[in-house]
Amino acid sequence: MALSLSPSLLGGVSLALATCLALPAAAQAPQAPQATQAAQPAREPAHAEIPALQATAPSPDAPDPSLSPECRVPGSKLYTLAKLKAVKKALREHRAVQVLTIGSNSGGLGTAATYPVRLEDALTRSLPDIEVTVESRGVSGEIAFGAAERLRNQVAEIEPDLVVWQVGGNDALARVDIEGFSQSLAETVSWIKSHGIDVVLVDPQYTASLAKDDYYRQFVQAIQKVAEREQVPLVQRYEAMRYLATRAISALKGEARGDTAQSGAGFRLADLGYRCMAEHVTRAITVSLLQPDVPVTPPPGN
Amino acid sequence: MREPNAVDFWRGFALITIFINHIPGNVFQDYTYSQYGISDAAELFVFLAGWSIGIATRGRDGVPEPAARTVLRLLSRMVEVYRAQLVITAVALAMLAGAALYLDNPLLVEWHNAGPIFSDPIQATVGWVTLLHQLGFFNILPLYVVLLGLAPAFVLLARVHLGLALGISAALYAVSLVFEINIPSWPVEGHWFFNPLCWQLLLVLGFAAHEWRRSSERFLAWRRRLMPLGIVIVLVGAVLSWFNLRPDPLAVPEPRLLFIFDKSYLSPARLVHFLGVMLAFQAVFGLIQPRARWLTGELAALGRNSLAVFSVGSVASLGAQLIRFWTGGGFATDIFVVGCGLASLSFTAWFVEWRSRSPRPSSAA
Repeated sequence: MALSLSPSLLGGVSLALATCLALPAAAQAPQAPQATQAAQPAREPAHAEIPALQATAPSPDAPDPSLSPECRVPGSKLYTLAKLKAVKKALREHRAVQVLTIGSNSGGLGTAATYPVRLEDALTRSLPDIEVTVESRGVSGEIAFGAAERLRNQVAEIEPDLVVWQVGGNDALARVDIEGFSQSLAETVSWIKSHGIDVVLVDPQYTASLAKDDYYRQFVQAIQKVAEREQVPLVQRYEAMRYLATRAISALKGEARGDTAQSGAGFRLADLGYRCMAEHVTRAITVSLLQPDVPVTPPPGN
Repeated sequence: MREPNAVDFWRGFALITIFINHIPGNVFQDYTYSQYGISDAAELFVFLAGWSIGIATRGRDGVPEPAARTVLRLLSRMVEVYRAQLVITAVALAMLAGAALYLDNPLLVEWHNAGPIFSDPIQATVGWVTLLHQLGFFNILPLYVVLLGLAPAFVLLARVHLGLALGISAALYAVSLVFEINIPSWPVEGHWFFNPLCWQLLLVLGFAAHEWRRSSERFLAWRRRLMPLGIVIVLVGAVLSWFNLRPDPLAVPEPRLLFIFDKSYLSPARLVHFLGVMLAFQAVFGLIQPRARWLTGELAALGRNSLAVFSVGSVASLGAQLIRFWTGGGFATDIFVVGCGLASLSFTAWFVEWRSRSPRPSSAA
């Protein structure tokens, strides 16, 4: 699906939404939204109400300059996009947006704020004039064995507009059957969406010692497939962290610091992953919000 | 050492089931009864704990012991369980951290809610020591600590009138369900995995069942008569579980916890299913005992030493999970880890009894 920036595709976005997004988009995104599916440079002037979209889109493979330097990752390695109808509706109606985060609440070692607090701050900055509240819940156990049921009950308890779900960590460590996990995940995502609640998935972390673990790679891919099939945005934490790891290694080589600097690199990367998560999730949400409401009609002949 | 009896046998059975279910993904998990019903071994464990309190707070002659002794006995047990929870949590944290270092894998320190203890140690240390922060699969003993704290009140109320204790317990359960009252977790937002305000009902029911069994012929008669109903409930539970049929928590009317299947709040469906299981399987121990004495003997030995066996089982199941992760799992690994785990449970029971039989070294030594 191509993400075009033409006015016709943005037609479904109301004036209210455009106004809401204008400032943050300008602050956060001096370029067009990027998607792994397709990120094309804008060929036409974009919607006047969304000034950010008037900027020229960089290549999807260029690091996203709207992110802080330590977290800078190209859009193509950070997210896949899909519509967020419930959040968009809340924005149009100018009512508070309630977000439920599921999973770890770590904001990084020694940081003053936890991930849910950082996410709330980042979303509030991106959506001024709109009250954003973030509640968080940890889910112990595996999606394939009962945790999905508990998650449903937590969603019913909070009734949020958006669920941001760090998914798969426990299941991957427990080496559960990937097919059973995928099925359970797809059912749960579909159930959340069926109640008019948006979902953003965040896939598991990358770490060098698992880079050659076939099971783990297939596991991450399985989550990508579910996100694609269920049409929910995915924060590709695995890909993003792998990119950051490569960059860190190049930097170390550049400084010629030797092997000792490598020890504990996995732990430092994991910490960086948590520090960046709120920014990365916020970026995926704000860019997903710019997705047009109307379905994209493929050009004839495709 | 007492002879094998039904309570110890079933408690041993629950301990093995919990151990296997705490190694998610292992092949034996599909053969535990938790996969074929709405309730699981946790209900059995708590119900039998209540039953045991009934036994423990009466003398050999069946006369209730003095109130002060009952209170001290239960509080002393509470301290013992709390101490066990601290020890196994500390060991589990060291296992996760040690495995993370050895395997150079930072994901392992995040497993089972351990993350905040390493990333936010100042708050999380207060959290886990006060039981407000619990590791995944390490949440039954915190429940038990609170239940033992509440137990003296219920036991003493029951001495006034059993109906009074049951009524107050049921009222507390109903209020907690309707208003969704649970102990909060901290520093991570959320609630306790097992809500003691709801699960206390099962403890009191276990205690009451023991009291009725002692004194009420009618209870015994009704227990037999209701066995077919229990079998029907078990069959319905198996069908619901097999086809994954359950109420949609966003589609049920308020108060929603009355209608959904929720483990934290011991929702009514789970409670009814568990009582059905009790009714359906009440005669099983009597059937097995004469035919497989070694089996009842082994399970009863686990049940007699449940705290030590549970503690070792908790640590062993985490060890098994780490080995499954490290090796990639598989049938042979599962046989190895579950086999070693069961052997360690059995050894623990034997060791605790050996230690209590052996003369202890003097305190001066």
